[in-house]
Amino acid sequence: METEDHRREGIASRVEGFNDRARRAVHDQQLHDSIELFTHKSVAGRNAVLNALPEAPELRERAYHIKQETMANLDRYLEQMADAVEARGGNVYFATDGEDVVRYIGDLARRKGAKVVTKSKSMATEEIELNRRLEEDYADLDLEIVETDLGEWIAQLAGDTPSHIVGPILHMNRKRITEVLSRTAGEELPPDVEALGSFARRRLREKFVTADIGITGANFGVAETGTVATVTNEGNARLVTSVPPVHVVVMGIEKMIPRFEDLSVFVRLLARSGTGQKLTAYTNFITGPRQMGELDGAEELHLILMDNGRSKLLGTEFEEALYCIRCGACLNVCPVYRQTGGHAYGSTYSGPIGAVITPLLKGNEAAKDLPHASSLCGACWEACPVGIPLHDLLLKLRNQQVEEGLAGKAQEIAFKGFEITMKRPVLYKISTRAGRLAQKPLLKDGSVRPLPGPLSAWTDSRDLPPLAEKSFRELWKAGI
Amino acid sequence: MRVALFVPCYVDQINPEVGVSVVRVLRRLGIDVIYPEGQTCCGQPAFNSGFFDEARTIGRRFLDVFERERFDYIVCPSGSCTTMVSHYYPFIFKELPEERERSEVLGERVREFSDFLVNVVGAKDLGARLEGKAVYHCGCHQRRELGILEEPRELLVSVDGLELVEWGNEELCCGFGGTFAVKMPAVSTAMADEKVKALEQSGADTLISGDSSCLMHLKGRLKRTGHDTRVLHLAQVLDSNEGKAG
Amino acid sequence: MSGRAEFLESIRHRTQAGRYKPTNAPDVAWTRKGEPSESEPIEDPPARFIEELEALGGHGRRVGSLDEAREYVLDLVHEREAKLLVRWDIEELDELGVDEPLGEAGVEVVVWRDLVDFREVAGKADVGLSTAAWAIAETGTLVLEGGLGMGRTVTLLPPTYVAVVPVGRILRTVPEAIEKYAGGEAGGLPANVCFHTGPSRSGDIEMSLFVGMHGPGDVHVILVG
Repeated sequence: METEDHRREGIASRVEGFNDRARRAVHDQQLHDSIELFTHKSVAGRNAVLNALPEAPELRERAYHIKQETMANLDRYLEQMADAVEARGGNVYFATDGEDVVRYIGDLARRKGAKVVTKSKSMATEEIELNRRLEEDYADLDLEIVETDLGEWIAQLAGDTPSHIVGPILHMNRKRITEVLSRTAGEELPPDVEALGSFARRRLREKFVTADIGITGANFGVAETGTVATVTNEGNARLVTSVPPVHVVVMGIEKMIPRFEDLSVFVRLLARSGTGQKLTAYTNFITGPRQMGELDGAEELHLILMDNGRSKLLGTEFEEALYCIRCGACLNVCPVYRQTGGHAYGSTYSGPIGAVITPLLKGNEAAKDLPHASSLCGACWEACPVGIPLHDLLLKLRNQQVEEGLAGKAQEIAFKGFEITMKRPVLYKISTRAGRLAQKPLLKDGSVRPLPGPLSAWTDSRDLPPLAEKSFRELWKAGI
Repeated sequence: MRVALFVPCYVDQINPEVGVSVVRVLRRLGIDVIYPEGQTCCGQPAFNSGFFDEARTIGRRFLDVFERERFDYIVCPSGSCTTMVSHYYPFIFKELPEERERSEVLGERVREFSDFLVNVVGAKDLGARLEGKAVYHCGCHQRRELGILEEPRELLVSVDGLELVEWGNEELCCGFGGTFAVKMPAVSTAMADEKVKALEQSGADTLISGDSSCLMHLKGRLKRTGHDTRVLHLAQVLDSNEGKAG
Repeated sequence: MSGRAEFLESIRHRTQAGRYKPTNAPDVAWTRKGEPSESEPIEDPPARFIEELEALGGHGRRVGSLDEAREYVLDLVHEREAKLLVRWDIEELDELGVDEPLGEAGVEVVVWRDLVDFREVAGKADVGLSTAAWAIAETGTLVLEGGLGMGRTVTLLPPTYVAVVPVGRILRTVPEAIEKYAGGEAGGLPANVCFHTGPSRSGDIEMSLFVGMHGPGDVHVILVG
């Protein structure tokens, strides 16, 4: 039962798979071009708006400390938010895992006799594969679940998954998108953005106005007021929360912030870091269901506070991973992500933050290779608007693997040998001399010939320099 | 002023000429240079692979070896190995108060080569001469943990005959990343190719860096792809006196 | 599944028992290369508002009187060949007085009250008309509150959306606007507050801008006074 659930949750699909997928990805020129287009524009946009905000460094510092304080008191803030939402006539449900969320929403849909469900982009629901599980577990309801973010919708139509937190289909070029939408339209659409966008607008409008339930995530949840903030450019979250009679929010518990005024820090950082804007087109704050006399807005609000593995990071050396506001900036600057794209990670969350939280939420066994999918260059840490030391967390994860015995015998022996050698200068000298002798027959044109075995990982694609005839210590001794 | 040299293990074994240049540049500035011969490696390869216990053993040895000596500063021709000592020793010794304190005390005195020259000695023009059109690659630890960005440039612009040019995406990692280069070879090589492409577009004939590890990686890829770009450590550039008497 | 008390208890346990102290507060300075344009004081908030809105593809106009505002709305409705305009049910817009001239010109005006099916009305309307609680100069943002007579979909479903806002309601910055709603408890907040900034947009297809994705692509703000 447990192993099956494990496989079914989409956050980490394969073990030891990053390298295989990455190898394919780096040879895919179309993918490479698509990623480059997206990341270059995103990084340039982000830099421009952040450079123009003199207090940005101070905001970043404040954001970090607000999150730190939130996590230290998360139980209290969760309770405060739940009370506030209930006081405004909303319903609150505490979900331990994805299973709980699916059951709550499925049962709600059954009670309401719902047919059409509209969703605005939500990573939390991607993480638990909400759509697929509702369609399977509640097949008798025959629900039509429609993603309404343009990118998410196209991914849904293509049977694909998002490859980036902010740009879900950056891996698809216009040709591919045109194919997908033409198939849906039942006619050949011209490959231009106006035609494709207009078609999507018409199609999705029908869904917006007939939906029985709207589902959103939450970019932030405010403890003090019970407010749920959603941030979009398309306006889909505002539609999903304004038109259907029922609004369900699936909020990861780490999205909490204590006070409404804290939004001033976070919405500014999120828009700038995520999309290079000062504010997104729709920064929407929902506090409870519609009030007496209002004609639109959901009559019923259900707030689902989802743990799904998050709380076990509280108070640990990995807690900072919970400070993430899902802006995607670390993906855009990551030189690994820029070569591989998001799908290589084989998990809902990709890039540096994905490499950190996937094993933390799912266990090291499930995503063993991800902490190694980084050169530890620290670009992620530099870009993070909340200052999460992502590459330090990757290092700690690598250490955790070693301590759990997951690093493998070969590595264990190698680093034991390394330790012993480096501890004793005599051994260090002997081994380097031995190396010099051993490499002699292998030299060619000033490099070591391509080698078999583990070093082939280097020599297959790069020349390897030989050990020098005399080491620095020997030269020093002889006199410089 | 007395300086203890910290020569990274791969410089010791693969690029000893970099260490020699460091010694010569420092001596030319009238600095007394010592080399604690018991030193081996800072332990970074083990640390980066998650083998913290092994890294701690090597780190303790490093502290022992250098604490025995008298000096004003430790100077290291690598931003990466400097960072291991100044930033990551306190990190791995976090729970061990004694070693943590020792590493913090020593960490204060470890300086990357260009940082030492510009910010401690106040030297900028070292009278070097080298003909060429060069790009400069800043190692990631040096860029982000140490924040030493301008110092190497200040030193390089004073080199007679050298034209320093900009290149695309210069903040991107070269793809070395220690064991990353062999654990994720396809991605690592693709990252190097990104740099090679930018280098080609810059029209430079020389690649300079303060980290021999980045240079080893980039040179390995450059050679394999048929480029004859000259690859030099900053210390070698500052030590060169091409076409000059004496 | 777990109950609320149990759920919170498990979190309480984790937040309090033997807390690890993170040591890594942000200490990489965010490099700043450009000119700090936003730090310059906003000298003329209405002008800045219009500048920002237009940079996003919206249209802004400052007028001296309600009469001029009315003319703007009437012209816009004619230009768009609109058949149906839906507007908020508030006094300010009664005073604007567009209902009668539009009716005479054959344009149906629906006021946001006692509607049998709001989806039908807002969905069919060609133009939505509202005012705003606040406007933010530094971003070209309208702050829209939901409430009695102030439908959310009025500003959202029609392809053309126009807001008439007295200049006195212009704030300089986003923090100033958030401040207006901060410090209270839930009781004081409208069920919906929306910071609406320019036309609805998407960049999901090859980062090319598509305007009017789900909300209005044609956004006009008339600043009065």
